Amino acid sequence: MAKLNKDSLKTLSFITYFIILFVFWFILSGYLKSLLLFFGLISVLFVFWMSYRAKALEEDSLPLKIILRLPFYWIWLFKEIFKSGVTTTTLIWNGKYSPQLISVKASQKNRTGIANYANAITLTPGTVTIEIDKKTFLVHALSKKLSQDLLTDDMNKVITDLDK
Amino acid sequence: MSYNYIELISLVLLAIGCFFILSGSLGLIKLPDVFSRIHAAGLIDTLGSGFIVLALIIYSGFSLLSFKLLLIPLFLIFTSPVTGHAIALFAHESGYKPRGKNKK
Repeated sequence: MAKLNKDSLKTLSFITYFIILFVFWFILSGYLKSLLLFFGLISVLFVFWMSYRAKALEEDSLPLKIILRLPFYWIWLFKEIFKSGVTTTTLIWNGKYSPQLISVKASQKNRTGIANYANAITLTPGTVTIEIDKKTFLVHALSKKLSQDLLTDDMNKVITDLDK
Repeated sequence: MSYNYIELISLVLLAIGCFFILSGSLGLIKLPDVFSRIHAAGLIDTLGSGFIVLALIIYSGFSLLSFKLLLIPLFLIFTSPVTGHAIALFAHESGYKPRGKNKK
């Protein structure tokens, strides 16, 4: 999908969204009878119509390009969460915390990327995004080590690369 | 009485998850101010629930149920930072200053 114009990209994202919704319905219900599948189709169409009406299907909110990279990103994110989680746990148990505020620069281009980065910072234990001002985050970190991990910019790069 | 490996692995994972939840709860009580307590709550949300769900998936075997179980941490990944950020932003806007140093 190298060169697609805007309209076909939009159609493609609609189809992907539809498929995701239907798979989601199937996972939650697990039914295979044709009547129930038909009901499922109706409810999926209803949800699709509602999200179309709520303008939730803009290009920015359904990023097709990154959808294949997401599982790898989640695995990486879980590794990060585990590492900083262990650090936070030891900090809680031995009480050597020294909370501090730092400001972090984000280099993502669109709104989804920035929200993604802010969420990733908050998701890793020990760091919380307090305020977002254009492209600078105010981050509260539980210790100096955690804030320095953040200031090495690794996470920023990974999330910026996600959107290439 | 003999354990098989699957039960043993899921038991170990459950114990790890319980340990993270315990330390998170301890942090909620012990840490000095509201910002630091959000970190402890985040620990429960991500690692505690994550490990317990992983243990349950391994225990129940791979089926449609395990996909359903996987949806729980997926939703937590989306919702827990939002709540954490909401609390932190509200505390910040209403003028709380984070305590700088160790209180000892």
